[in-house]
Amino acid sequence: MKAEAINDIRFTVLSPERIRKMSVAKLIVPDAYNEDGYPIDGGLIDQRLGVIEPGLRCKTCGGRAKSCPGHFGHIELVRPVVHPAYAKTIYMLLQSTCNSCHRALMSESAIKELRPVIETMTIDESDEVLKAVEGQAQKADKGAESAAHAGLQQNGNGVSMNQSMVISASMPAIKRLKSVKICPHCKAQQAKIKFEKPTRFMVGNETLRPDDVRDWLSKIPDDDLMLFGIDPKATRPEWFIITALLVPPVNVRPSITLESGERSEDDLTHKLVDIMRVNRKLEQDIDAGAPQIIIDDQWELLQYHVTSYFDNETAGIPVSRHRSGRPLKTLAQRLKGKEGRLRYNLSGKRVNFSARSVITPDPRLSVNSVGIPIDIAKGMSVPMYVTKWNIDELKEWMQRTEYPMIVNVISKEGVRKRITETNRAELLASVEPGVILERQLIDGDIALFNRQPTLHRVSIMAHIVKVVPDKTIRINPSIAHPYGADFDGDEMNIHIPQSLEAQAEARYLMQPKLLFMSAKDSSPISSLSEEQVMGVYLLTLDSTELSREETMELLSYVGITDMPEPLKNGKYSGKSIFSMLLPVDYSTEQKAGRDNIVVIKNGKLKSGVVNHSAVGGHGFMIMEIFDRYGPDYTEAFLTRSINLALKYTYMRGITISVRDFYITDEMRKEREKLIETVKSNAEVVMKNYKDGKLEAQPGYTVKETYKMLLLAELDSARDLAVSIVNKHFNYTNNLFLMSEVHVRGDIRTIVQTSLLLGQQNVRADRPTRGYSGRAIPYIAKNDDAPESKGFIKDSFFDGLEPTELYLHAMGARASMQSKSLITAVSGYLMRRLINAMQDFYVEKDMSVRGAGGALLQTIYGGDGIDPMMAGAAAAAKKRK
Amino acid sequence: MEKNEKSANKYGIAYGEAVGTVAAQSLGEPTTQMVLGSLHQAGIKTIVTTTGLPRMMEIADARKKPKSPMMIIHFDPKISKDYEKIRAIRYKLEEVRLSQLIEGYEEDFRTGSMVIKLDKAKLAVYEITPKRIMNALELKGTVETALVDNATIKVKAKRAKSESQAAASESKIKHYRITFISVLSTVVSGIPGIIKAVIDMYEDNAFYIKTAGSNMEEAMKIEGVDKWNIRSNDPFEVMKVYGIEAARNTIANEMYEAITTNGANVNFRHMSLLADTMTYAGHISSVGRHGVAGEKRSVFARAAFEETVKHFVNASVFGEHDLLTGVSENILIGKQIGVGTGRVRLSVKKDDLQKLKRAAEKAEKK
Repeated sequence: MKAEAINDIRFTVLSPERIRKMSVAKLIVPDAYNEDGYPIDGGLIDQRLGVIEPGLRCKTCGGRAKSCPGHFGHIELVRPVVHPAYAKTIYMLLQSTCNSCHRALMSESAIKELRPVIETMTIDESDEVLKAVEGQAQKADKGAESAAHAGLQQNGNGVSMNQSMVISASMPAIKRLKSVKICPHCKAQQAKIKFEKPTRFMVGNETLRPDDVRDWLSKIPDDDLMLFGIDPKATRPEWFIITALLVPPVNVRPSITLESGERSEDDLTHKLVDIMRVNRKLEQDIDAGAPQIIIDDQWELLQYHVTSYFDNETAGIPVSRHRSGRPLKTLAQRLKGKEGRLRYNLSGKRVNFSARSVITPDPRLSVNSVGIPIDIAKGMSVPMYVTKWNIDELKEWMQRTEYPMIVNVISKEGVRKRITETNRAELLASVEPGVILERQLIDGDIALFNRQPTLHRVSIMAHIVKVVPDKTIRINPSIAHPYGADFDGDEMNIHIPQSLEAQAEARYLMQPKLLFMSAKDSSPISSLSEEQVMGVYLLTLDSTELSREETMELLSYVGITDMPEPLKNGKYSGKSIFSMLLPVDYSTEQKAGRDNIVVIKNGKLKSGVVNHSAVGGHGFMIMEIFDRYGPDYTEAFLTRSINLALKYTYMRGITISVRDFYITDEMRKEREKLIETVKSNAEVVMKNYKDGKLEAQPGYTVKETYKMLLLAELDSARDLAVSIVNKHFNYTNNLFLMSEVHVRGDIRTIVQTSLLLGQQNVRADRPTRGYSGRAIPYIAKNDDAPESKGFIKDSFFDGLEPTELYLHAMGARASMQSKSLITAVSGYLMRRLINAMQDFYVEKDMSVRGAGGALLQTIYGGDGIDPMMAGAAAAAKKRK
Repeated sequence: MEKNEKSANKYGIAYGEAVGTVAAQSLGEPTTQMVLGSLHQAGIKTIVTTTGLPRMMEIADARKKPKSPMMIIHFDPKISKDYEKIRAIRYKLEEVRLSQLIEGYEEDFRTGSMVIKLDKAKLAVYEITPKRIMNALELKGTVETALVDNATIKVKAKRAKSESQAAASESKIKHYRITFISVLSTVVSGIPGIIKAVIDMYEDNAFYIKTAGSNMEEAMKIEGVDKWNIRSNDPFEVMKVYGIEAARNTIANEMYEAITTNGANVNFRHMSLLADTMTYAGHISSVGRHGVAGEKRSVFARAAFEETVKHFVNASVFGEHDLLTGVSENILIGKQIGVGTGRVRLSVKKDDLQKLKRAAEKAEKK
């Protein structure tokens, strides 16, 4: 069978006639196999429905397991049953149509008003709809149409309408119909219709049997159906009642043979067997002239099985179970939810040519490369297309018997053959233009690199392959940031694009150096961090002077063979060494942190220290170089400066010791004083609250205000302690130096380790719950003192009191909890956002369009600027 | 000219760029980071991480009433620097309950009456007369009022409607008690819904008022209020009063606020695209199955998101037609998606194609 691209899809309800026409076999035997283990004719595995076992041939199309797509069969139900999914629609129709003349319970004049509106909405070609709608909207006035009118206006804005919106437009008018007592057409009295979930309908107290319902529905005229938004050409409501049940082909419900030779059937087959058994029993009862009550019982049982065949989670009926007690997975369960067909198999697809391993850092790789372990490289392949120009070269490739070699040959007919020692010569002879050879991965190939969760577009980027020894995938530590990766055991995936188009797209659109600015806030996705920042900082200090030998070692390490200008004393300044990395015509002057202005003139660092503000996180130097000198230079600059910095850090050496955490007696005294101040401030707040002097802040109650103020007061202890650290520590303390230069560790980390831990919080409040009136049993009941509610006076270095330890653990646990809770929430928010906006794209005129051409913005973002370059564009505008 | 074009192109957005997905990711990614980031500072101020996300959810869900409605009111430039006048307006804005205006009161449970002594100074501040208080109380319909002197009011509770003859005196006292409490909490002045108003100042010495609670419709009626410069954080209220375009701006601004106050920085264009997504249909639709996702035209797109079976069933009833124009539909059926490079199509003129073919044949022969 030939595969064709799908252009569009129409949904309808199958009529019994159509089901019989589609069906290749009427199934009559409620079983699958006979005693010999052979499929029964007319049974559920009838070979006319297709075959799944190799070696057999389909009795309908003659195809084998692989080529036969499967064919539908059907079961003739002796008595009709309600299709459970349509029960609600049936109820709506029964309520809204006359029980005697079966017309819509709507006066002729109301119908006359509503019909044109509905008709215009059901036309497919959007242009015509718009024109018709505009005309209608002008004519339309009150009542039923004003609701419809609202629906039309949406369409006028370019929103594509779905059919459900049509019915929502006429819904107010339809809802009123159920309370109509007398038919406006035949004047018949209307009885109240009741609906008992899932499938029973009643008129008054009398049950309306499915065949009665079908008779009723079949008499509703086509013209009136239009009023309910139902297109009679697609769907007649009597088809909602099943008389012929469609049976899916065996391909849809394959049976499996266990090792023991025992057969195990699919859940759907089990359910169909149930249906056929009851159906046969019902037939026998009717033929035998059994009493009506027994027939009704069987009928109801048939209805139950059909209902659970469609949806085994239908409310109001018992769940149908497998012999083992496991609930059966029927049709609805197959489609639904995260593990259902749509989200699991259709929206998410499995791929070949992919690999996964643990990642490890390797700064000697460029940020644009990825180190692929040799074992992976051997197991992956890239197609090479044989042409008359490269055939000789490729034939040489074919001779290779070790690592970079050709593994498969794909003939012109598309048959893939693996090269072995025995067939090499034969395959070599078959190589001609048009043949495709698959070779192992080599340096310079392109690979897509990804880490989950894939939160944004830079979570998948294309890296240049560099084959490396050992078993881990290696990346430059600086490119870990956009992926959100670290090296504590993270694993990442690679995918090798196969087609030339895919390779080209990856190369020209997806490399890190091309996606170098974040689309979120146009900051660089990769920059120097931690000891790299320390390296450039130390290197570019005014005092840094290096000998000729040291300079040569540093520069040659990053592949620079020129030397900078030496100083008068024959040494080389750190600044001049760093300048070797800069473009020769690069000039800038930027403030970088307190009392530090970086001045660069013609590629020479004149003054200032290159620090975190220049080359870290949002570093201006990286942004400027990317903007002015482009992706390639940026890649080189980044890789070189990383390595230069690291080399210098290792050369000079930097470490921390226990001594860095020591505090002096003077600091201890200041800490005592600070704690006293905070506590007395807190007491003032507490006293004010007790005396009722506290005034509520806008939007909060007095109690909330009290809690906030008290917490703010106690929280401030940590911030105040920061000033003590600032006062007494200096750059001879490496711990302090690292935090000041934004290398690692926040100043608050030092405070918590050396001075005091401060107030602990549980859900934005002091820890209070646990025991009645106290958080832990070691403190007095209702004690409101700071220490009793999570104010910790000790530091990690001094060690915590037992009570402090518990209070600290409470805070830590609470933040863990909220973290795991909120990740689920924000993950769902992200899924919804993506779903709402994924269809939008930029049209040639820079307008933003949705699926079907809906206009969202006339110029993207108001200026048509790429969000990745928004920062640079704003800077450029400022310069002008 | 040529140079201009070039520089514009350098920063320009590319044709087909999937800006919607980029916006959604840019908004979604920091929320995940916000949460993950808090792990490292265990126990320090959990407020920071939780204020941003709930607010973002509130906006994206298009909830009818925000948890903490708020207004910022600006004033006519003529009076905006006059503190006294602004203060007078503040008193007109804020809800004032009777209990805030009294010096004391006496209850008499035998007769069911109470005597309320008003605080004259406060009455003057809020420009409220005893007459006005009496009117407000009478409006409730449960009490009768009488003026004793110019700062004292006598209030008598009416009998409870359902009160039967057999009602015990205990329940009578209960009824009086309830009535008295409601009397004291009666709003006698200010705009309903505005719980508190605070005056603040900009750098240029112009005052503005920030309110807890929002009621733009009433606030703009006050003399001196610049009705073109009132802000509310409730998009629905803004839509009701100023229309959908203003609501769109509110959504974008509020989203920006929610994200940036958490330390994350996100380009404004992403919020503005989200705001357009939520409002371009002419009404505010939420991000989710009841809003944007549920209004999509494609059956498959809706089914793949949520409520799979419902959408297929309805599609068959109404004979829907899926044109397969969106992204998820095309992924489902295995076709190339219509955004990004998938949008680019190559077209060649028939004549040119012939020429190319001939040229190729010629080259072949050589």
